[in-house]
Amino acid sequence: MAELTAFSFRTGNSLLHGLDARFKLVFLALISFAGLKAYLPGLFILTLALAAVMIHTRLSFLSVLKEIRYFLILLLFVFAARALSTPGVPVLEADILGKTMAVTGEGLYHGTLICWRLILTVLLGLLLVSSTRPSEIRAVMGWFLAPFPFIPEKRVATMIGLTVRFIPLILSQAKETSDAQRARGIENRKNPVYRLTKFAIPLMRRTFEDADKLVIAMEARCYTENRTEPELSSGRADWVALVGVVCLCILIVVG
Amino acid sequence: MGNILEIKNLKHHFADGTPGIDGINMTVREGEFVLIAGQNGSGKTTLLRHLNGLLVPTVGSVTLAGISVSENPARARQMVGMVFQDADSQIVGETVRDDVAFGPENLCLDRAEIQKRVSEALEAVRLTEFADQSPHLLSGGQKRRLAIAGILAMKSEVLVFDEPFSNLDYPGVRQILRQILSLHQAGHTILLTTHDLEKVFAHADRLIIMKDGKIARDGSPNEVVRDAEMFGVRQPCASRPGIEIGSWLN
Ligand SMILES: Nc1ncnc2c1ncn2[C@@H]1O[C@H](COP(=O)(O)OP(=O)(O)O)[C@@H](O)[C@H]1O
Ligand SMILES: [Mg+2]
Repeated sequence: MAELTAFSFRTGNSLLHGLDARFKLVFLALISFAGLKAYLPGLFILTLALAAVMIHTRLSFLSVLKEIRYFLILLLFVFAARALSTPGVPVLEADILGKTMAVTGEGLYHGTLICWRLILTVLLGLLLVSSTRPSEIRAVMGWFLAPFPFIPEKRVATMIGLTVRFIPLILSQAKETSDAQRARGIENRKNPVYRLTKFAIPLMRRTFEDADKLVIAMEARCYTENRTEPELSSGRADWVALVGVVCLCILIVVG
Repeated sequence: MGNILEIKNLKHHFADGTPGIDGINMTVREGEFVLIAGQNGSGKTTLLRHLNGLLVPTVGSVTLAGISVSENPARARQMVGMVFQDADSQIVGETVRDDVAFGPENLCLDRAEIQKRVSEALEAVRLTEFADQSPHLLSGGQKRRLAIAGILAMKSEVLVFDEPFSNLDYPGVRQILRQILSLHQAGHTILLTTHDLEKVFAHADRLIIMKDGKIARDGSPNEVVRDAEMFGVRQPCASRPGIEIGSWLN
């Protein structure tokens, strides 16, 4: 079945686990914003801070790397595009098919800056998700949406929770469907449209059937929108952390 | 002891005209362990879904401890806990603990009570050590036990199991069987459907065989089982002449 990924909650008793989820979401927003405004010294400070938190929460660097490997490949392209397209002083030049391609110093600088910012943002998200119960994240969404009229916050929160829950199921079903079809020689068919429809239709049917079963199971367990939500409680530690995070953000932006 | 469940002249026709069940009359005593057998499509699942109002009768009535299900479906859902055939699509929570808490949360209990019930339920199905894991990483037998914990936490009196042994390996079947028997011993009323009598036959108080949406036989397991094969249900080897009736647990 579904694999456990770094993007899923794991229990722990680190400081980060203990903080109020609302505060953590605010921290995420503040630090990501500061990170996007930061330059190399600021990013360096933020990296040190994040590394310290990662060590403290026992999130393994290897599993994180494994988790974001495709993202890193994407970043490589972003970096290359930046390095080649930013005008400035060339540090490396090559003739490719009669055109001169130049990697500029400015390009390297901007590429590094952008990729570094993006990696740190992803790490922030990962730290939040791995240290906060999904049910708490759901409750926080409801809490932040509650002041807005016309938004049924409880329904939105349930929908988000169910969507997250369904992704691993759909993926594992997609794999099963594709294996079953390959076992019956679908690869001999060259027409991609034929293959796509033959793949998508059974997959969708099964997904809908499963959604149906889930709805029945939820109803059988008395599902209502009016239910006990996880308690969100903040304490002194949260406010202390808030002060710390604000200081960190100032340091990052000014640095 | 009194009757906890009374079904009178229950009929259900699906929207497309298929008669799912067709004139069911039965009563179940409190604490009874009823086995419902029948070939695929005989209406077992359709019958069970009327017990907590997931389906509404076309004709007839279902009464739980004196109060009609259609009158108070919320009460029926709390009283009748249901474990479905497909263990995977019953999982609602992101961790084992959250999944068990889903029912009590819907009952709007306070946090302390929810926590107490969740730990008790996990203890009862021996899943305490997995409390903070993702439910999708559990084995087949563990997932079924999780579903059982989910209804125990709601303090359901009647426990309904729809084909609880499907897709389980031998150790899984034994785990679930042992669990169900201990719940029966603890006083729960149990209804269990199966198309394969072998595994539970020796433990039930009563056996009902369904065919084409009707009750074909209803009585003590040892008597009813002799006719099983007439209705497309395989007779357990253990009940054939000359073979000692055994249990899957020994
Ligand atoms: N949603 C539905 N719509 C139409 N017919 C259905 C539906 N669900 C079940 N049926 C039909 O009702 C009959 C009884 O089904 P079911 O109760 O699932 O049998 P069992 O659980 O004994 O295998 C079958 O003929 C089945 O095809
Ligand atoms: Mg069925």
